[in-house]
Amino acid sequence: MNLHYMMKELYYQRRRTLMSILGLSIGIALLIILNSLSAAYRQAAHVPLKEIGADITVQRSGDVPKDLVGAVFPCSAVTIHKEEVEKVQKLPGVRGIGTGLLLWVFDPNRAWIVLGIEKENSIGPSLLRSSVTEGRFLEDGKPEALVEQAYARQFGIRLNDTISVAEKKFPVVGFVDASRAAKIAVANVYLPLKDAEDMATSSKGLQSVSPYSPGDVNLLFIKADQEKITALASEMKGILGNKATVATPDSFLKLLGSLFALSDKFTLAASLIAIIVAVLIAFKTMAGNIAERAREIGVLKAVGWTNRNVVSQLMSESVIQCFLAGILGLLIALVASFSLSFMKVNIPIPWEMSPNPHFLPGGGDQIFKTLRLPVHVPWNLAFFAILLSIVIGGMTGGLLGRHISKIKPSEVLRHD
Amino acid sequence: MTKSSILSGRDLSKKYGDLEVVKNVSLAIDAGEFVCLVGKSGCGKTTLLSLLSGLEKPTKGRVILNGKEMNGASEDALALFRRENVGFIFQSFNLIPTLSAWENVALPLFPLKMTSEERRKRATELLGKMELGHRTEHLPSALSGGEKQRVAIARALVNNPKIIFADEPTGNLDSSTGEAIMGILNKLHKEEGVAILMVTHEDELSKTANRLIRMKDGEIMS
Repeated sequence: MNLHYMMKELYYQRRRTLMSILGLSIGIALLIILNSLSAAYRQAAHVPLKEIGADITVQRSGDVPKDLVGAVFPCSAVTIHKEEVEKVQKLPGVRGIGTGLLLWVFDPNRAWIVLGIEKENSIGPSLLRSSVTEGRFLEDGKPEALVEQAYARQFGIRLNDTISVAEKKFPVVGFVDASRAAKIAVANVYLPLKDAEDMATSSKGLQSVSPYSPGDVNLLFIKADQEKITALASEMKGILGNKATVATPDSFLKLLGSLFALSDKFTLAASLIAIIVAVLIAFKTMAGNIAERAREIGVLKAVGWTNRNVVSQLMSESVIQCFLAGILGLLIALVASFSLSFMKVNIPIPWEMSPNPHFLPGGGDQIFKTLRLPVHVPWNLAFFAILLSIVIGGMTGGLLGRHISKIKPSEVLRHD
Repeated sequence: MTKSSILSGRDLSKKYGDLEVVKNVSLAIDAGEFVCLVGKSGCGKTTLLSLLSGLEKPTKGRVILNGKEMNGASEDALALFRRENVGFIFQSFNLIPTLSAWENVALPLFPLKMTSEERRKRATELLGKMELGHRTEHLPSALSGGEKQRVAIARALVNNPKIIFADEPTGNLDSSTGEAIMGILNKLHKEEGVAILMVTHEDELSKTANRLIRMKDGEIMS
């Protein structure tokens, strides 16, 4: 392989070189963009769960409360018994578990959405600690409340006020901006789990619909090994029954409804098509280029170049062209990814995961988690694309080189 | 083949399908000899030159070049043999359009383990001999027909060949440039002692040769 000859050939045949590079770069760019987009949708689908520090959430639907008086369970989140929680906790692949108790409390003058939280657990709604806008987070062993900022504003609740929820008094120690946090497991009032348990235990209305004992919960937040999430979801359904709602990144992905989100197979098929198109473009352009050089190859052979010399020369030209095409394709993909990252995506939150009573005004409205699509080109994808370009270059150059090197110099040189 | 023969062809025939282009030809060329192969267009001169230079394999017969039997040699072995022993000059120059004059001259040296400087030195030296020292960096498109052919002659000499095969070297040139090229070939033959087998259809050009071989319908007439 002669580097000097190769560079001159690529430089002086600029149009030919550019056509080859452009053709292949489009295929490579397409491949990178498709995979980046697919990865971005996957990442986006993980956000609602990630924001509450979980990979899976579990709840179970049950009967509608007979009377909307005092503390009741939403019909989409009834009792998950302590023993069931323990079974879930023991499943292989479960790395940690957080619990919560979501209640609707209908007091004579006001309705509350109350969420009892584990204050010290890093999995679940205690992540709201970082969303406290005024005052402080809940402290151990004290019956106190955090109130959602917008709700407090609407009803004139101030810091250090005392609110009465289900006939029990709670000092307001802080405000929290839930809009910064996840759209699931949000409430108007956050209480220590113990106080929410007491409320549920003492509510006759709640007990008549969904028997509850202290230690039971109605929301589970689970951290799990990424590769076991799907399998764990079906095992949890097995433990909790058919009425269990198990939310995973995949279930959110399906709700997105995008072609990229629908299936891995689509991305795989589209990527394969992009690769095949890229290979065909490279092959066709280079085949044309090499055919034009039949006489030149004849001269090389006549003056003593072996077939191997010819093949390695053509292969090196092809590898360099395809490598440059890979770089250009990567640059195109980076620009496209940057542009696409301004695109907003609305992730619908299933109604059963919405804490709002849907029979109240506005309660049945679809809730979305809106975020910028996190499109970026992962370095391993970029590396793969460049490597693929080089392989395409090597294969194309090798195959075409072998073919053209078989020509007889006498045949191409005699027809002057 | 005599002791001093550099090239010998024995009972050479070449068929393309049913058409026999070269018929049972035998000839030998001595080292340093200038031989002209003359005949009308289509009489088989170029095919015979291709057989003798190892560019093409005969249907029948043997070729011995510089003591080496070329029949049965692989394509790569023939290429290596050409690189070490043979130079070519073509009617249409066959220079690589993307390479400068010196690079075209150095083309047979590219696969060899040499530094670029060594190649360049050898090529510019030869271009100097062809009175093209001032055109070393020019692309073929910037050269006249005569200059192109002189670059081609320099390329044919770059590997110190034992024999040069020239196929109608003046065919694409006007008469005065053609004469100049013939002058260079004669000088080469006399001063460097290189054997030359030149194919031409112009009897006039063959006058300076040591020997004239006439071909007609694939056979040697004299």
